Amino acid sequence: MRKQLLILPSIFFLLILLIFFYLLIIDRNPSELPSTLLNKNVPKFETESLLKEKKFVSSDVFGKEIKLVNFFATWCKPCRDEHNYIKRFSNQEGIEVIGINYKDNSQKAIGWLKELGNPYSNIAVDKNGRIAIDWGVYGIPETFIVNSKGIIKYRHVGPVTKKIYKKINLIINEIE
Amino acid sequence: MAPYLGNLSLWLSLFFAISQFFVSKKNKKSKFITISVIGLLISSLISFFLLMYSHVVSDFSVLNVFQNSHTTKPLLYKVSGTWGNHEGSMLLWILVLTIFNYFIFKLYNEKNSIFISKTLETQAFITAGFILFTVLTSNPFEIISPTQADGLGFNPILQDPALAIHPPLLYIGYVGFSAAFSISIATLALENNEKIAWHSYMKPFVVAAWTFLTIGIAFGAVWAYYELGWGGWWFWDPVENASFMPWLLGTALLHSLITVEKKKSLQSWVLLLSILAFLLSVVGTFLVRSGILTSVHTFALDPSRGIYILAFTAILGGYALVLFGLKSKKYLNNSYFSFFSKEGSILINNILMVVVCSSVFLGTIYPLLVEAFTNNKISVGEPYYNSTVVPIMIPAILIMGIGPILSWGKGDKSKTFKKIFPSVLLTAIITLFIFLFYQSYSLIGIVGIVLAFWIISNNVIILFQKRENLSNGMIVAHLGIGLLILGITGSSVWQEEKIIQMKVNNETNIKEYNIIFKEINEIKGPNYFALQGNFFVYDKNKNIITKLQPENRFYPVTNNFTTEVSIHTNLFRDLYMVLGEGNLNDGWIVRIYYNPLVIWIWIGALTIFLGGLISMNSNLKKLQRLS
Amino acid sequence: MLTKNFFLTKIFILIIAICLIQFFSVNSYGVDPEEILQDQKQELRARNISKNIRCMVCQNQSIDESSASLAKDLRILIRNKIKEGNSNEEIYKFLTDRYGDFILLKPPIKLSTLALWFLPFVFLLTGIFVVFWHNKKSKKF
Repeated sequence: MRKQLLILPSIFFLLILLIFFYLLIIDRNPSELPSTLLNKNVPKFETESLLKEKKFVSSDVFGKEIKLVNFFATWCKPCRDEHNYIKRFSNQEGIEVIGINYKDNSQKAIGWLKELGNPYSNIAVDKNGRIAIDWGVYGIPETFIVNSKGIIKYRHVGPVTKKIYKKINLIINEIE
Repeated sequence: MAPYLGNLSLWLSLFFAISQFFVSKKNKKSKFITISVIGLLISSLISFFLLMYSHVVSDFSVLNVFQNSHTTKPLLYKVSGTWGNHEGSMLLWILVLTIFNYFIFKLYNEKNSIFISKTLETQAFITAGFILFTVLTSNPFEIISPTQADGLGFNPILQDPALAIHPPLLYIGYVGFSAAFSISIATLALENNEKIAWHSYMKPFVVAAWTFLTIGIAFGAVWAYYELGWGGWWFWDPVENASFMPWLLGTALLHSLITVEKKKSLQSWVLLLSILAFLLSVVGTFLVRSGILTSVHTFALDPSRGIYILAFTAILGGYALVLFGLKSKKYLNNSYFSFFSKEGSILINNILMVVVCSSVFLGTIYPLLVEAFTNNKISVGEPYYNSTVVPIMIPAILIMGIGPILSWGKGDKSKTFKKIFPSVLLTAIITLFIFLFYQSYSLIGIVGIVLAFWIISNNVIILFQKRENLSNGMIVAHLGIGLLILGITGSSVWQEEKIIQMKVNNETNIKEYNIIFKEINEIKGPNYFALQGNFFVYDKNKNIITKLQPENRFYPVTNNFTTEVSIHTNLFRDLYMVLGEGNLNDGWIVRIYYNPLVIWIWIGALTIFLGGLISMNSNLKKLQRLS
Repeated sequence: MLTKNFFLTKIFILIIAICLIQFFSVNSYGVDPEEILQDQKQELRARNISKNIRCMVCQNQSIDESSASLAKDLRILIRNKIKEGNSNEEIYKFLTDRYGDFILLKPPIKLSTLALWFLPFVFLLTGIFVVFWHNKKSKKF
């Protein structure tokens, strides 16, 4: 029995290495967190709208068509970097992009959008960051896909790049 | 010029490593092996110093220098910046590997040529593997064109003397274990008709590795303490654990090697441990550099490099463990010994060290396992390790007190109790005194104090009794552990903190001290601007104790903000102050910590290091007698 | 030479430095005085919960010691929930509903983490077993 035990270390070793190998080859981002809100309803919230008179009420905005939700702020440089992609999304047929202005100065935000262009059909003001917490946001910019029933289907943390742009479009087509 | 020569030298070292691998199969100290070993050493020295030269002269045509350095970086950090990045640190690994390779080579004598040759063959494989990894995936001598005027700078919190010396010390540790690994392979693979005392060759390497790993980890911890600004020094980060696990196995190995030496028992166990200690070091390297997880310590890397390291680990570890599985039978010993003996206490030490190491390993890779099998991500943080590691360490420390004075073979219980009675008494008295004086009712605090003074009293008494048969290195190292536990207990259990907003001329109190915010200044450093608060600290007799000067720094090149903590240390406590945000009108947020007994952590670590050095010295003398 | 110009220049540089640091830095350095609750018991609860919550935007810090803006928001949120009468479990659930188990520094005890919590004991018991098994064999001599 003793002699068979001697081969155990090599077996454990091999198993652990296989797991490491698996983790290396799959497509994963070790620093990105999967959203707990996937396949759940959009959090309910009500707040000011940045540009409109009428209040932003989540139940009015979500649950009708596919919407993209983009958390942004003027003080966030990657938000500036990805802005063109957000505009491209809004130019696509059938997609509306909702903006959520996170912990920002509203005047500055309005100016920022004037300068860079406004892709958002509506913008919610999240002055104290509570809405972001409800969405599980931890590193803006973050972009969500919400389907026509108001269910969150996808989240990306960080700026939208070419690769992510393509991926989001793919997912939107699948949802349709 | 320098990078081209450096690259050439690096490829040359690969050539020498591979040639050493093949030439060593001749099983003798031939001219060729001498050339390989020395050529390997010199070529790696040259490539290392050429990279350092490029950093020091700020040669930004070298990609590595461009990415990690800047003209305004102080000279010391240009030098240490050589190994403060992934590619450069690989050159340091290689350099230390070639130096230890040379030490193994120096062990040749008329009787052991087959054994040493086999050891060198294994070592050559390891070294070649590291060099190949470096030239294929992480070559520091890559050129960028056109040459930029200045570099991207360097993270300011890494510009620190403790952190500069931290990697070289750690690598001596890991490479030392690689030598033990190679010796183990040689022992298992050969028939050993010459009856080579393989353990006598292994011991000095293990002692050296363990000693330097200890002090290397300590420097990392002391840096975290005074640099990161939250009064802590260990976070159970995966990369910290990656250095702690080989240390735990190294501790076990250190002790069981004594049993092999004196009693010829636990031989197959030691052969396995020496393989595992180095394997864990390599797995640690993998975790840090593969991109499999993120941590404040990881070098930002891509998975393809990870696959190489994994493959290398698989080959090395697979070969070693299968060899162990097949060949260790002949070292299985049927000599049994009493529980209540020195061997017994060493066995218990080994088991507890391995249990702790397994738990740390489990906690470290568990988030990866969960992620692989579910789609969830979890954290395994300090609370987990406090619940698992700390309780297991307690019996280990208790045994550490009496183990050294137990005799080999069955011990006399009454005689032993007579021997340890003085230290039991001393421990009880000191604990009672502290309990009454500080009036603390913290259970873990009392346990910590009891353990600390149990070890300290035992070893101080042994020192006074001048026992001839007990190694001085061991006594000093054990004493160091006692001091370490004292420091850890004091600073964790009885830490006090005060957070307050202060305007200039405000004052506040913490414990027996009165602190006055005298002024706020702006200062300019070599590569930073800073806002510095000046706080005068007075004791209850209105005598000034010190001036604390915490800073907030801004490094323009890397656009980094850092806080510089201000610490006043004495034997009883640290006063630790962090300057927060603020302005002249509202005042500044100030965080003050009263950390009892912190300095004993560092004194303890240094004492352990000293004990290790003493032990290294006596082991080297034994080795010389062997030749 | 403490001329008027010298003094003014120093003040000017001081203000610039303060502005620079204000503009770029993330807010606090751990719990701010204004966050601290009046009720000491509640404050202690808040500190203990915070020490168990990972700062999502830092490396290796809890929100209790972090200077990040999100950490501060979560600290305030936790204190508000304590004042509103929520239990610790409810507060943890609130956070894990939004951020997942990752935000807890002490891994939760559920099916997937059973092995994590049990195996150390298994290791220890195996170790003790080995000691006694060895001891038993040695008594035969």
